[in-house]
Amino acid sequence: MKRALSILTLSLGMTALSSANAQTTVTFWTWYLSPKFDNYIKTTIAAFEKANPGIKVQWFDKQDSMVQDFIASVNLGNAPDVVNLNIDETQKAAQNGFLRAVSDFTPTATLNRTFYAQSLRNFTTGGKVYAYPWYGWINEGVLVYNPELLQKAGLSRAPRSSSEMLTYAKTIKDKTGAYGWVPALKDPNTASFLGFFYAEGLPIYGADGRAVFNSPRHAALLNQYVTLFRGGYIPEDAVRREAFQLATELYAQNRVAMIVGGPQALTRIKDTNPGLYAKTVVTGAPVGPANVQTGGSMALVIPRASKNPEAAAKLAAFFTNNANQLAFAKVVPVVPTTLGAQSAAQFKVTSQDPIAKATGLVGASGRFINPGYKAPGNSDDLYKNFNDNIEAALLGRKSAQQALNDAAAYWNANMKK
Amino acid sequence: MRVPWRTTLLSYTFLAPALILLGVFTFYPLLYGSYLGFTEYNGARFAQGLDPKWVGTANFEKLFADPLFMTALQNSLKYLLVVPALQLAALGVAVLVNKQLPGMAIFRAGFYVPVVTSISLAAVMWEWVFNREGTLNWLLRSLGLTSPEAQFGWLNSEVWAFWAVMLVTFWRGFGYYMVLYLAGLQNIPEELEEAAVLDGASAWQRFWKITVPLMRPTILLCTLLSTIAALRVLEEVLVLTNGGPLNSTYTALMYVFSKAFQGFDFDYGLASAAGLVVAAVALVLSFVNFKLFNRPEEEQT
Repeated sequence: MKRALSILTLSLGMTALSSANAQTTVTFWTWYLSPKFDNYIKTTIAAFEKANPGIKVQWFDKQDSMVQDFIASVNLGNAPDVVNLNIDETQKAAQNGFLRAVSDFTPTATLNRTFYAQSLRNFTTGGKVYAYPWYGWINEGVLVYNPELLQKAGLSRAPRSSSEMLTYAKTIKDKTGAYGWVPALKDPNTASFLGFFYAEGLPIYGADGRAVFNSPRHAALLNQYVTLFRGGYIPEDAVRREAFQLATELYAQNRVAMIVGGPQALTRIKDTNPGLYAKTVVTGAPVGPANVQTGGSMALVIPRASKNPEAAAKLAAFFTNNANQLAFAKVVPVVPTTLGAQSAAQFKVTSQDPIAKATGLVGASGRFINPGYKAPGNSDDLYKNFNDNIEAALLGRKSAQQALNDAAAYWNANMKK
Repeated sequence: MRVPWRTTLLSYTFLAPALILLGVFTFYPLLYGSYLGFTEYNGARFAQGLDPKWVGTANFEKLFADPLFMTALQNSLKYLLVVPALQLAALGVAVLVNKQLPGMAIFRAGFYVPVVTSISLAAVMWEWVFNREGTLNWLLRSLGLTSPEAQFGWLNSEVWAFWAVMLVTFWRGFGYYMVLYLAGLQNIPEELEEAAVLDGASAWQRFWKITVPLMRPTILLCTLLSTIAALRVLEEVLVLTNGGPLNSTYTALMYVFSKAFQGFDFDYGLASAAGLVVAAVALVLSFVNFKLFNRPEEEQT
């Protein structure tokens, strides 16, 4: 009897232990998604946990200090398992060896079947994909404009090309006093002006990987913006502040006539100036001679220091699958990075509401999401130098050609391969 | 006199918690950070779990060959101009508010408000002041000092951004030092002032012959704190100009911050070396402050 009891106790203990062992807790960090999207994230996590009974998800939303917290957590030995990073940070993290390649967990064929090829390329470095692409946005997805300001400037239609945008900027400022639009001349922490070269069809890197953005054609393009800036046709704050933030702020005050961007610009206008939102017209944005668009995307990555990489990869794949990205696009006007989104019925709805119209215009265009340039190794230093040179040109301290020559020379001397 | 060992033990027991905390949170980081200044320890080594690699003075050579660091160091040294202005103003106003008049407490509290105002809120407020359409331009225009065509955004000007940011530092620090001076002033015996008044000394003479000499320890403390704070200025610059335009507001601490904490391309070795250079400058300036303000008692009288 005593022996039977012992066996029973032991087997019960073993069962309890094995069920405890079967439970894996995955730590999931998002970036700037709480509290606005708590409901969506929590619902998706619940669905994942239901489909994967052995996995429990602990969700934390990080904001300003995301990257610093990530590095500190690696140092302390408690790294998160799934982390939400953007294209640039993913590239930097992968180049420095912080991440696991996602092909370690998901077959390449499956990745290719799920995501746009360009979306995967955005997160590829050294020949490997380091992230599950998540929601994205198109920089030139839509043109949002204030029809009254255009009318006052004597313009009867929206601009249809990037060169027309430059002409419009001058006309609108001269006739109305408002700025035409706010181009992303030197957004902090990136090298946004490279996007203009890409839109123009001008190369950033040569075949050997060296920076080649200092040809006379590159300089001529930069010079057009320098002339506009120095003539007072672009807000002077554009050298100091992020273009998108500045543009939405000034648009809501009737001080900027057009915003080139995604539907997300409209959300803020709706909140701050509902009257202007109601009047706002949404149309396709003009593109440059290369007929390409730029854009950005978020992704989910698996840190090398993750203690549960397999379960983490399951969660990342789940959050980024077609159904969940489409569901997220219903909550907020983001652009899914999944191939399946191209045929989604939700983007075919026609509406006169600006946000709904903009969402319909860009929702299925995830294949165009491309920053236009790959983050170079040592990108923090290189971006800073590039932006300093763009600023020197804008403020008249260097000619456009000299600024680009100096930046290219610095890049080629300091770029880590 | 011999101290009994029990007393010694008891004293050290009481000191132990503070010493342990200081050791863990001050001395160890200080020593380890100094060591890192002589090593190669960047994102790639860190991610692979490799230890820092000793490189001698290579980081310092790299630093002094980097034009950005040299600009940053020069800006930090130039930023020290805020120290005398801040101290003189804080001491002057402390003397003025050190009166038992009705409503004086409101004045004292008012001067302290900027100290407890969050930097993000302060940034928004000062943006309104320094903008092309901001209150500063409005004021200058109203006084007939500028024309609407001559207006510009102060934070976008290579010449003025530096002084604009320094003004914010002045605004933020002023109340803090004023309170310290006020505490110092309230420790000066009233009899001295009364005797000086009876002797026919003017207010100006009383200030220079009584207040300033007796306030020397407080002046030393405030000047030291203010010097170190000026060398470490970071928040104002980050939120108002991000170091621009053309690096005219880029300070040494911003360089340290960007190398140590911005993104995965960090370089702890270089950041620590830059931090050591700033610390060395702070030490030299502290020594100068001590020499200037910490004269022996007999010299003071």
